[in-house]
Amino acid sequence: MDPQGEVTSLLVAWGKGDQSALNELMPLVYNELHRMARRAWSGQDQAHTLQPTALINEAYLKLTGAENASFQNRGHFFAVACTAMRQILVNHARSHLAGKRGSGRVHVSLDDVQPAVHQEAAEVVALHDALERLQAVDERKSKVIEMRYFGGLSIEETAEALGVSIITVNRDWRLARTWLMREMNGEQS
Amino acid sequence: MTAQTEWEEIERLFHEVVDLPAEQRQALLACARAPVRAEVESLLKTEDEATFVERPVRLAADLLESQPGGLSAGERVGEYTIDSLMTVGGMGEVYLARNRSGLRVVLKILRRHLVLSPQAIDRFQTEARAASALHDPNIVTVYESGDSAAGLFLAMEWVEGPTFRQLIAAGPAQFADACAWGQQAASALAAAHAAGILHRDIKPENILLRKDGVVKILDFGLARLAGPVRIDPDARGASGTISGTLSGTLLYMSPEILRGETASSASDVFSLGTLLYELWTGRHPFAGETPLDVFEAIECRAVAAPSALRAGIAEEIDGLILRMLDRDPAVRPTASEAGALFSRFSTRT
Repeated sequence: MDPQGEVTSLLVAWGKGDQSALNELMPLVYNELHRMARRAWSGQDQAHTLQPTALINEAYLKLTGAENASFQNRGHFFAVACTAMRQILVNHARSHLAGKRGSGRVHVSLDDVQPAVHQEAAEVVALHDALERLQAVDERKSKVIEMRYFGGLSIEETAEALGVSIITVNRDWRLARTWLMREMNGEQS
Repeated sequence: MTAQTEWEEIERLFHEVVDLPAEQRQALLACARAPVRAEVESLLKTEDEATFVERPVRLAADLLESQPGGLSAGERVGEYTIDSLMTVGGMGEVYLARNRSGLRVVLKILRRHLVLSPQAIDRFQTEARAASALHDPNIVTVYESGDSAAGLFLAMEWVEGPTFRQLIAAGPAQFADACAWGQQAASALAAAHAAGILHRDIKPENILLRKDGVVKILDFGLARLAGPVRIDPDARGASGTISGTLSGTLLYMSPEILRGETASSASDVFSLGTLLYELWTGRHPFAGETPLDVFEAIECRAVAAPSALRAGIAEEIDGLILRMLDRDPAVRPTASEAGALFSRFSTRT
């Protein structure tokens, strides 16, 4: 079977409740997104093009083929792709932080640039960890944050992908981000 | 009381009180059980203090860039001396440089370690040759392509003047200017198409207006190296892959390319039609909040006639731009037809 047909039928199977389909789907989506992210983010001339959503859309087109695209499958795909994107970003942030510790100060001139990147990497990892704690409390809210923050999806796209109302996503988003901020600020009561 | 029901209570109370003034909050909070109340109060404290920016993650390019590299001023590439870095692209950088006689040139460098497939290098070379074969007053001239320690390079004409992105941002153009610019851009495309070369990435960032009013199209035939979508049967199988990234060019992409079909000269015409529409009306025909919105607009949204957005646009121009934006490539005019109409029209006014 060609790769496009494979992804489409895995999406359909997963949509019907077959959890093992997700296990097969995730590496396919991860690898494709990772490949594209490396290319797109290895330096772009326009900051506004560094959008996870655009990569996810592209991966969707590539992996399912536009002619196979259905709105229902797209929602399912977005859910998987946002998880994969989160993993990609977290892995890169972790390796960045590890490299920073290991390499020492080689390029003094880069010091002006590095702290911002470093902080962002630390933020990504801290959010990921806090999100895992939220997942134990409320899985759907952790998905909402994952899609909005790591996948760059809009409220509407998140609602579509999760199959819930926009109102629900708005409420989830508000409570979850408050909860996460508190976690990340270490202000547990 | 399970943790689950307690969490549901917390959630309900939080949403009930979060938008209320302090004294009303207190009244409601006072009725809640102690652990629920404590949790909600703690969340409210965070909510009130925080200035949470709603944004998708914005990772600095460096996060995924393991080998920043880059050349500094004074370094040599072939016969050229680097002045300064202009932009960083997916597979290399673009520099301002000088040739031996001190003439300013733009130097594009393709870094081998950033190139993901050997085919990309073949394409760079083939297309550099194709581009340097194009001699048209409205196409940026490629002087030379070669190989150096830094990577493959391409030296081309340096053009001083704003991009069409900047012109569009400055507001809708004067009709006479828009006509003249449309004519020049269309005739440049026509010349390339006649030579069998597609641009594939026509967008306002790739068209310059030189200070003396001459329009110059950039990156001819090199566009796919910068990463537009293209079905490209490669070593991985006959099914083809979409290479590059959608992100930068989505707004100017034709429906057939979005559907994953091969680009044709009509795809360039569509992209030019999109940016001319913007230039004439100040509005993008397929604007949307998210890439998905744009995608759907290009595929299905009806395009309003330019004259409906800006009074005084002639019927011929209206009709021409709408035909350039037709979803059916076969209905679109050729670049040369478009150029001819602009030229007829601008001599009549």
